[in-house]
Amino acid sequence: MDAHTSDGAFRRGFLAMVPLWLGVVPFALAYAVTARGAGLSLVETQALSALVFAGSAQFTAVGLFAAGSAGASIVLTTLLLNIRHLLYGVSVGRQFDLSRRQRPVAAFFLTDEAFGVASGTGERTFSFLLGVELSLFITWNLATFGGFLLGSAIPDPTELGVDLIFPLAFLALLVPMLRTRIELGVAVFSGLLAFGLHRALPGGLPVLLTGIAGSLLGAYLTRHDPPPESHPDDAVREVA
Amino acid sequence: MTFWLTLAGMVAVTFGSRYAGLVRRTELPEFWVRFLHFVPIAVFASLVTPYLEGDLGEWGIRVTAAAVAAFAAWRTRQLWVAIAVGMAVFWLSRIPF
Repeated sequence: MDAHTSDGAFRRGFLAMVPLWLGVVPFALAYAVTARGAGLSLVETQALSALVFAGSAQFTAVGLFAAGSAGASIVLTTLLLNIRHLLYGVSVGRQFDLSRRQRPVAAFFLTDEAFGVASGTGERTFSFLLGVELSLFITWNLATFGGFLLGSAIPDPTELGVDLIFPLAFLALLVPMLRTRIELGVAVFSGLLAFGLHRALPGGLPVLLTGIAGSLLGAYLTRHDPPPESHPDDAVREVA
Repeated sequence: MTFWLTLAGMVAVTFGSRYAGLVRRTELPEFWVRFLHFVPIAVFASLVTPYLEGDLGEWGIRVTAAAVAAFAAWRTRQLWVAIAVGMAVFWLSRIPF
């Protein structure tokens, strides 16, 4: 798909992410304040948001920098937190029609939220996916910059309760996908498994392990059914 | 190891994780096509339950807000409606009477 002929798709993707901005902005602000407190410069704080672009990994890394951890252990922790994106890449790579040049671009900006919004809507073009991804990237980076400048004048997102927006968003994306008893069963199984694993393992691993276990269960239970089709009518409707 | 060397390592493992699955579109056996159908379902569920509880002992009103948001999502299929309704229930429940 030629980007010049699908401006509307980019715009629709960009707007589809807007409901999550309210959740993202306070976290980017809090991240920047934490990074500043840990002794990172503005350029270093911004570089993590622009080049790594992974909230939980950035928060963790900043804490480890402050504690004087070795670089190798920070990189390994980042890998453990972010390895779950492997599953998102495989899923997005099959759902979207991407050229060889578009694939690394789509991969660079891929996040939990982008995977969620892009999978939950019906559009399947690169322009739409890029709109979804950049909507989060630009917001995250502008809020990082603002947070560093504003410093400690910013309220704690956990105190505000806006951390609840993320589970609510993924729940809202999940509900319309549950059309059969097996799909409902896989969702319940995955929710319980992740809840248990979360107590024992670092951030990203429960998502990866649950994603694999839940999907294996679903594939096994539907092994005698006709091949799955997409149901665009059941996807979450877009904002605009 | 300097900050920038560590950053380079973080970028490498993060981009590597994101790109490894996307690098090429592979033709898959039917079992794995079914597997991929369930990936968003399993992943989204695993991004809900661990984060509902919260750190401030408010699990009761957070779970209530999530139940209302799930109902709103089921009825409207609108992401922003579900989030707005859920957060409204949560914030109103927080007001001390």
